[in-house]
Amino acid sequence: MEKKDKDKDKGYNRRSFINNGVRLALGVSVVGTAAFTLQRSASGKDYVWQIDPFKCTQCGRCATECVKAESAVKCVHAYALCGYCDLCGGYFKPGAKLQTGAENQLCPTAAIQRKFIEEPYFEYIIDEELCIGCAKCVKGCSAFGNGSLHLQIRHDLCLNCNQCSIATNCPSDAISRVPASEPYIIKGNFTTEEES
Amino acid sequence: MKKRGLTIVILVILTVIIGVIVVDFLNNRPDRRGENPYALEVDQYKVVDPELISHKETRNFDLGLLIASDMSLYDRALYVSGNSSLVVIPLDGRPATMHEILPRATCLEVDQGNIFVGFSTYVAKYSHEGELLQEWPHLGESTVITNLAIKEDKVFVADAGNRRIVIFNREGEQEGEFEGKAESEAGHGFIIPSANFDLAVNSFGELWVVNTGKHALENYSDDGRMRGYWDKASFDIDGFMGCCNPARITVMEDGSFVTSEKGIVRIKIYDQSGELISVVAPPALFKKERSANEEGKAPEVCVDENGVVYALDFDRDVIRVFEPIESE
Repeated sequence: MEKKDKDKDKGYNRRSFINNGVRLALGVSVVGTAAFTLQRSASGKDYVWQIDPFKCTQCGRCATECVKAESAVKCVHAYALCGYCDLCGGYFKPGAKLQTGAENQLCPTAAIQRKFIEEPYFEYIIDEELCIGCAKCVKGCSAFGNGSLHLQIRHDLCLNCNQCSIATNCPSDAISRVPASEPYIIKGNFTTEEES
Repeated sequence: MKKRGLTIVILVILTVIIGVIVVDFLNNRPDRRGENPYALEVDQYKVVDPELISHKETRNFDLGLLIASDMSLYDRALYVSGNSSLVVIPLDGRPATMHEILPRATCLEVDQGNIFVGFSTYVAKYSHEGELLQEWPHLGESTVITNLAIKEDKVFVADAGNRRIVIFNREGEQEGEFEGKAESEAGHGFIIPSANFDLAVNSFGELWVVNTGKHALENYSDDGRMRGYWDKASFDIDGFMGCCNPARITVMEDGSFVTSEKGIVRIKIYDQSGELISVVAPPALFKKERSANEEGKAPEVCVDENGVVYALDFDRDVIRVFEPIESE
């Protein structure tokens, strides 16, 4: 009887030891992984893909080369740089009438809304759900205007692939990894150019 | 026999797969892509009828390491500001001279008395020997001084940041300012979407200011009352396209205007009422391929009494000389 109890205690202790050891190892690995992730995000060492608008040559490939069916590249508007012009080279087709009819609009998906502010100023707002990132308006804005329209990779849409498919095909090498803490490269304002 | 057939089939399939991969790889190289389906074709606006071209490029002045910001023509010499230097280039072939000035000059204007140099927020007065005589007060927040014009005892300063012309006397005392507003429909005020805001005083003493947002040249009295204007917004060669054109102007002896445009860069001559006379330099003469950051900068232009146009090409840091083509 005494021997049986002794064997029972011995078996229990070994199993308990192994179980506790496994639990401890799992706990340490979970805590370690969490600490590592927290440390990485706190130090901002994560990187995301982004377009340098100063290198972009508006080739149109951002619309077709993204692995997502709807490209993660969208046009953004640097309002500080915009002239709020009536005759906007990014909105109207060159030579078109200054009327908002589809035949006069440069954007193939009518993703730019033109809103009257006060005579003779108009605001141009990008509807991101419609924008396909084709850069047609960007080219028009650069050729005829201030270049306030430019492309950016939207990180709420981007999958942050290990190798960005658009970057591989970008002819001007305009796409590179930037720190996740500063994920966008937005153009500035001419009155504060020197300070920036 | 059966085994051999299977091997051949597998080899054929493998060859086809490898072939597809290789062809796809080669076709997808950045330099071998098809046409951009979203391409915006602007080349048609760069074509100019040769009949309209009145000048030909005959020579140029290399500015060496100087990163030029502006140019002025006075007494058969070109004055160029850039870096911390003011370079004087006599047109008769004498050697150029250089004076040290304060850094980051944006513009300059010269007359018999002085050299006035504009910096981002203030103006400084120099002697013809390059001596700094006065630094005028700063014009405040958001000021971006883009150009100067002199008329007798007045110096007109174009401030693109605040969309106004500030009037100084030659001693740097501010005498007034105006924003181009008038009661008529034309007098909306200056619409300046970018740091391109030029002005000039012609040989009749008239002050002309470019209202780039309206593609207009506006004539003002010395105290800032609008007297007249003409505008030409068009994608055709006889007008100004884009948001900020004409970005730079100068005036000829007879009151005609030499205009210089940004974006699609070109230099043209208009009469006093805004009718196109001729094209001095078509877009084909300026840099063709640009990235988004490299917008076509409008060359600064000066013109002498013989109609010779001097264009400061910012892409090449060279002064290009365009002489009238002699008619046979």
